[in-house]
Amino acid sequence: MKENAILDSITICDMSELSKLTDEKLVELVRNKDRELYSEIIRRYQNKLMRYSRYLINDEDKAADVVQETFIKAFINLNGFDTKKKFSSWLYRISHNEAMNAVKKYHKEAPLDLDFDIPSTDDVEGEFDKKEIVQKAHSCLDLMPIMYSEPLALYYLDEKSYEEISDILRIPIGTVGTRINRARALMKKVCQK
Amino acid sequence: MPKINPKLKNSPAERAGKKLRVNNHKPDLEKTVMEKIKSGQIEMKPKWYFVAGSLFMTIGLISLTVGAIFLTNLTIFLIRKKGPGYGRLEMMLASFPWWIPVLTVLGVVLGVLLLKKYDFSYKKNFVFIVAVFIISIIIAAFAIDYFGLNDIWSRRGPMKRLYQQFENQGTTLPRGPGRGKNW
Repeated sequence: MKENAILDSITICDMSELSKLTDEKLVELVRNKDRELYSEIIRRYQNKLMRYSRYLINDEDKAADVVQETFIKAFINLNGFDTKKKFSSWLYRISHNEAMNAVKKYHKEAPLDLDFDIPSTDDVEGEFDKKEIVQKAHSCLDLMPIMYSEPLALYYLDEKSYEEISDILRIPIGTVGTRINRARALMKKVCQK
Repeated sequence: MPKINPKLKNSPAERAGKKLRVNNHKPDLEKTVMEKIKSGQIEMKPKWYFVAGSLFMTIGLISLTVGAIFLTNLTIFLIRKKGPGYGRLEMMLASFPWWIPVLTVLGVVLGVLLLKKYDFSYKKNFVFIVAVFIISIIIAAFAIDYFGLNDIWSRRGPMKRLYQQFENQGTTLPRGPGRGKNW
């Protein structure tokens, strides 16, 4: 109710009020009232998407291109977003697609090793605490295949839930769990060297 | 000396010596995108575009399912009518309208592709959804045959001509035991 009142009364100058809005309400505002409020969405997500794209592409400039293209595509298709769903997952999905296109375009196929497989182990999390995993993830994500590094980065670095990761990567929740678990095992194997 | 965010310590970008460039993109990116929006270089697609898209997708999926059921059933119907015991096998194969099962498979493949586009498809086991989709088509086609609906359609109603046309295709072969044999 309170958010709706804000939506009705908001003007472009009400930046403090704007920051209180959820992403979904802000999208409604951009769609129906003022396109220029899209800059608030860019501000909220550009750093997160830069970090995410950089993990996938490993190239600062190309990652910046991917993020720019993500925001452009998101704006063009903003009316196709269902505000009952999570905006961040939708935006990350666009970014994921853009990054994958860039990876294919620049022939950086090495990390996309889909045949790469290691056995899943259930007790790996016990051996690392979350803080330690985050620390290690920063240093060794680019040593892992994307199919493992991406869910791991989303879970530990972007703090996405399994459900959100499932929405972003378009894979079942069970597969998200398996990949994160394997990524942890891989981290132990590869990154501790 | 710039302060290093401890969170970014040892990140791939930092190791590549590019850490500080992240923030350099900040104003540019926002400015570039917003300029394109303000100048009208990029426009939002209208709502009706997405409504029409999802409507066509639903209609397409339903049509493909109904079409696949109909064609599978027609294949069963023709096999039953002209099936084993009718002429020589190669003659039966030659007279069989193969485009029907080919079209059925094509319909199923397109249906599966459309299913994959739906949001729910990745939430569940996709192989399971496809298997259920195909099995449902086959069961529905057999059910129509079992309850004799195709026999009714071939005798009356708007489908009569179509069924009879398929039924009579290639029936120039002589019927009856021993007839039509070359020896």
